[in-house]
Amino acid sequence: MNERFRIRAKRNDRIAKWVITLGGMLVIFSVVFILLLITNTTLPLFQKPSADIFAKFLLPKEPTQEVLAIGVDEYLETGFFLDREGVFNFFENQQGLATDQHSSSPPAENAELASVESVGRLQYSLLWDDGTLTLEQVNFRPFFDEENNNRRSIVHSVTRKAVFPSSNEDLPIMSMGRVSSEGRLTRVDHLSAERLMVTQTVISETLLGDQEEEHFSEVLELPGQDAIKALALNNQGTELYAGTEAGYLLRWSLSEAGGAKLLDHIQAFTDGREITALTLVFGDYSLAVGDTQGQVSTWFPVRTEKNSARKILKRIHTLSKHDTAVIDIQPSLRNKSVLSLGGDGFLHLDHMTSERHLLDLGNHVPLFQYAFSTRGDGLIALTEESRAIIWKLDNPHPEVSWKTLFGKVWYEGYDEPAYVWQSSSANDDFEPKLSLTPLIFGTLKGTFYAMVFAVPLALFGAIYTSQFCRPRLREIIKPTVEIMAAIPTVIIGFLAALWLAPLIEESLGAVFLSIVFVPVGLMLAIIIWQFIRRNDPLKKLERGYEFLAIAPVLVLSIAIATTLGPMAEDLLFAGDLKQWLFEEAGTRYDPRNCIVIAFAMGFAVIPIIFTIAEDSLSNVPPALKAASLACGASRWQTVWRVILPSASPGIFAGTMIGFGRAVGETMIVLMATGNTAIMDLSIFNGMRPLSSNIAVEIPEAPHGGTLYRTLFLSAVILFLMTFVVNTVAEVIRQRLRKKYGRF
Amino acid sequence: MKTYWRTGEPCVWGTGAALAATLLIAFILIIVVMINGLGVFWPAPLEELHLKDGSTLLGERIQREPVHDGEGFRRQYKIANRDLYGLDFRWIDESNIVDVRYPDEAIVLEREEHGDFFGYLKSLDTVDLVFAADIDLYQSLLASHRKVSEMREAVEQVDDEISKLSYKLEKVRRNLIKAEYQGLAKNNPKVLELKRNQAILQDDFKHLVEKQNQNVAAMRVHKAVFADTNGQEQQIILADMVRIYQPNQMGLLGKSWFYAGKLKELILGQPRESNTEGGLFPAIFGTVMLIFVMSLFSFPLGVIAAIYLREYAREGMIVRLVRIAVNNLAGIPSIVYGIFGLGFFVYGVGGAIDQMFYPEILPTPTFGTGGILWASLTLALLTVPVVIVATEGALGAIPREIREGSLALGATKFQTLMRILLPMSSPGIMTGLILAMARAAGEVAPLMITGVVKLAPALPIDGNFPFLHLDRKFMHLGFHIFDIGFQSPNVEAAKPMVFVTTLLLVLIVLTMSSIAIHLRNKMKKRYTFGTF
Repeated sequence: MNERFRIRAKRNDRIAKWVITLGGMLVIFSVVFILLLITNTTLPLFQKPSADIFAKFLLPKEPTQEVLAIGVDEYLETGFFLDREGVFNFFENQQGLATDQHSSSPPAENAELASVESVGRLQYSLLWDDGTLTLEQVNFRPFFDEENNNRRSIVHSVTRKAVFPSSNEDLPIMSMGRVSSEGRLTRVDHLSAERLMVTQTVISETLLGDQEEEHFSEVLELPGQDAIKALALNNQGTELYAGTEAGYLLRWSLSEAGGAKLLDHIQAFTDGREITALTLVFGDYSLAVGDTQGQVSTWFPVRTEKNSARKILKRIHTLSKHDTAVIDIQPSLRNKSVLSLGGDGFLHLDHMTSERHLLDLGNHVPLFQYAFSTRGDGLIALTEESRAIIWKLDNPHPEVSWKTLFGKVWYEGYDEPAYVWQSSSANDDFEPKLSLTPLIFGTLKGTFYAMVFAVPLALFGAIYTSQFCRPRLREIIKPTVEIMAAIPTVIIGFLAALWLAPLIEESLGAVFLSIVFVPVGLMLAIIIWQFIRRNDPLKKLERGYEFLAIAPVLVLSIAIATTLGPMAEDLLFAGDLKQWLFEEAGTRYDPRNCIVIAFAMGFAVIPIIFTIAEDSLSNVPPALKAASLACGASRWQTVWRVILPSASPGIFAGTMIGFGRAVGETMIVLMATGNTAIMDLSIFNGMRPLSSNIAVEIPEAPHGGTLYRTLFLSAVILFLMTFVVNTVAEVIRQRLRKKYGRF
Repeated sequence: MKTYWRTGEPCVWGTGAALAATLLIAFILIIVVMINGLGVFWPAPLEELHLKDGSTLLGERIQREPVHDGEGFRRQYKIANRDLYGLDFRWIDESNIVDVRYPDEAIVLEREEHGDFFGYLKSLDTVDLVFAADIDLYQSLLASHRKVSEMREAVEQVDDEISKLSYKLEKVRRNLIKAEYQGLAKNNPKVLELKRNQAILQDDFKHLVEKQNQNVAAMRVHKAVFADTNGQEQQIILADMVRIYQPNQMGLLGKSWFYAGKLKELILGQPRESNTEGGLFPAIFGTVMLIFVMSLFSFPLGVIAAIYLREYAREGMIVRLVRIAVNNLAGIPSIVYGIFGLGFFVYGVGGAIDQMFYPEILPTPTFGTGGILWASLTLALLTVPVVIVATEGALGAIPREIREGSLALGATKFQTLMRILLPMSSPGIMTGLILAMARAAGEVAPLMITGVVKLAPALPIDGNFPFLHLDRKFMHLGFHIFDIGFQSPNVEAAKPMVFVTTLLLVLIVLTMSSIAIHLRNKMKKRYTFGTF
């Protein structure tokens, strides 16, 4: 033999060995890789948030200047502080160098600021010492310089939104001003310990197009001997909250100008602790409350009883606890997070929905001014030695915790805690509801009904095919069922939704009658057969064609049920079963429901279970069967007592694999379930399983966002469900393979 | 009798019933698809109904069912003329019908927009296309329509040129952006060259568009006036008509000819009316291309993995693990593959490619968005286990003596594999490949998130360099069904098209898997022992 040829052949052999081994390894690797990658995408959901000090510098101010408010732009590039004279002093955040000043033109010469309240997105309501209240807006706008290679810089300005004239009383302790979206001005003055004054100006247009102003003013007095310690007013100026020394929470509605209504007056905590800080969480629905014990909690009005219109404030979420009394709380302008400042100078960042305590900020230096950046990912704070600290927060998914994903959560606007999936809404201040429980429930529910339908049909069909059927017919039936498995699920789903669902809805009575009629029909057929089979022509009939003989019986029973269905509905349910169900049993009938799913998904699963079960039944050594029959057992006894037990691992494996397929099936459930995420076991309702939820929501989920990662998490759950089931099935099959050594 | 029960004979009948039920359901499914799908293109007669209130109605009967409360039946008619009536369908109680006629001269127009028109021809307004007076109005309508169709072909040719030009323009624009991104000065010769090129192209483009506008205007001059059954007149532009026929005059031969024409349009034509009319060509093309690209990846990978498992790996822990892995791969829900494809291929690999090769047009993605390549790769992963299992089965079925014989003659393992084992197992491997292809043809969920679209502007292969555009989005038969069945504004009118598409897909998939299973059974018979 040619030497070179031999060497080449050997070399090729070695290379091939390596390549092939590598290819084989790639398969294990890919399973692990898929799991790792999708898991890795979900991990940031559970990452602990962190804060890095972005800059730290001495505030560029004169020693005499007093800081009343502080703020920062969304890129954390420019900051500002507001001094007693009402001047906004801007500075850049790298070294803390002053850039420029914007005076907010005082209403009177030499007027100074008495107090400042921060409102929403970089708005400040300034109370001047002559009693005038002004509402100022700081604007930051990115500017791209075309001359200078499109470099971005931040341009800032200060504009006045509204002026509230002085109310000619003594200078209030604190004042708040709001402009509603209809242009109504609301001013609330904290006059003394127990007195508040509300002044409202309504601007309306007359028929002639003139503007007309109406002024309303009233004084609100606290019931009982108490002192107001904290106030909060929503952005529209329609809801006023107060917290008192004796620990009471009060809520007024100001939506009717001049007619303030006290809605709530409740003791917040049983121990009567003092309320020290109030603020409204982003969206103006929940109230964040801080008390002397250092506890931060959120409250919102809840219906007292079912169907009653009256709502009272109730404590919903209990957030983190400071070591000392809470001094102030500020909401995030991006999500439902709140930032609270304790007396010890520590800032706590908590998220309301998830009740996660996200961060502790501060290093034992008392902080006295602080503000969120408008994007919610940065924070500026000021120590008493006028040292400014800017933190950059890495906090992408504060709303996610194990509890919000799997537990019951009390969402804003709900009367009780609930499992809800509602990932998006039209408005920004929406509270995302990301509970996976209803989706997992939906998956299991759909799978359950499908399996109830599919397993008996598939297993009994497999038993018949492998044990009782003529071998010649078996050669046809097996491939037919295998081809059934190839029917695309999109077709099954489409037929289920557009053909089967209307059909079932129309003849619901017939469907239920069939459940009774089919077994009865079968029984009758068997009994009749028992009597006539001894007659001459039938005697010669061979066994193994039973299923062909029984098919007309099935068709006939269903046909009878269909004809009698409407009659039965007329007789028993006054002509309309759906109406009866709704009125008597209280169940709503969805046209796309579990009956449809059971048929459609069952149909998709049957061939899988059938094929595997049939294989394992046929592979039971024929000697066993022969022995059993020889001992005088009937063919059914042989199958039931001998064959079935030996094949049971294979049957189990087939059922498991079928289960795995039903869990992950997407197109059928997407088309035929109605996709509403409800938790209801009723067979007349639809559901929203994990798989179709992914298909529906992922196109709208921004890459890297919370929804995106949550959907990946649901993919991980699906993966794990099928992984466990498939691994168990495969291990059993391998055992079986060893036992019989031939498949 | 008692023994009959004790021997369990009824139970045998019970299992027989289960099998019968399973087969019946499958049978019903196929029958439903066939009945609804096959009849769609057969021209139905137009009925003119005279109703009790004196009005008439011209339509195609769809179905007949008993009235919900009370006696008698009602019928559903397709009355078309969506632009006149707003509705396509109408239910009529049989008790309201006075007379039914089948007028010979009733015309069906298939139009580019607003669905069909049912009515009667009144007059022609075809300017210079007027024919000799001795042919009747309908014949001259047909003749003018043929002329207009010829004009339209010319217009379509110019359209092709325009789209080619705009592709070139887009390329030049991209090159300009690239030059700017690379920091080339504005007076760089390369930039100037590009700019000049752009100006020339733009000039050509403008010229062509102008010419095209003239052509279209000339084509759209020709009109005809029709009246619906109640005499309401409607002027319709000849160029908007796709097909004109008088169903009540057609014989069996004419109808068959018509049916064949519709089938040809279905397979080769472009979709119209948000996919509810016209052809399926882009969807068929997308499906075939997807399967083809998928096979390029899944076939070698699957075969190599199977060879490793059967021939190279030693039985032990690792092989057991790989088997478990393979079966798990087969069992992972397809939507999980889809989300993996989105996270890994689209955002991961695609994003990286964009960063490296197309940074100038970011954030507009090139490969960083769904496309046919990513969808094919995702499906390849999904179908690899099918190929592995089939190949392993085929290799396992080859008797041991053959292997030993080859090795004993001095062949290396690789030579044995290439010259003996693979040729012998090729039917089995083919089986696996065909099954994988069938699976890919029917799978929709992972495609929905990796690049399938309702209407793709261009095919993934065209005459523009580099001819193969794997970054493009594509259409798919399975998604087509989902889309027109569930997301079209007029589900009732879309139903025929859904059933036709379904029938086509069922035929494709069933044919493929029948061939595969047939091949496999043949192979099984050849080696009678040791199947998987």
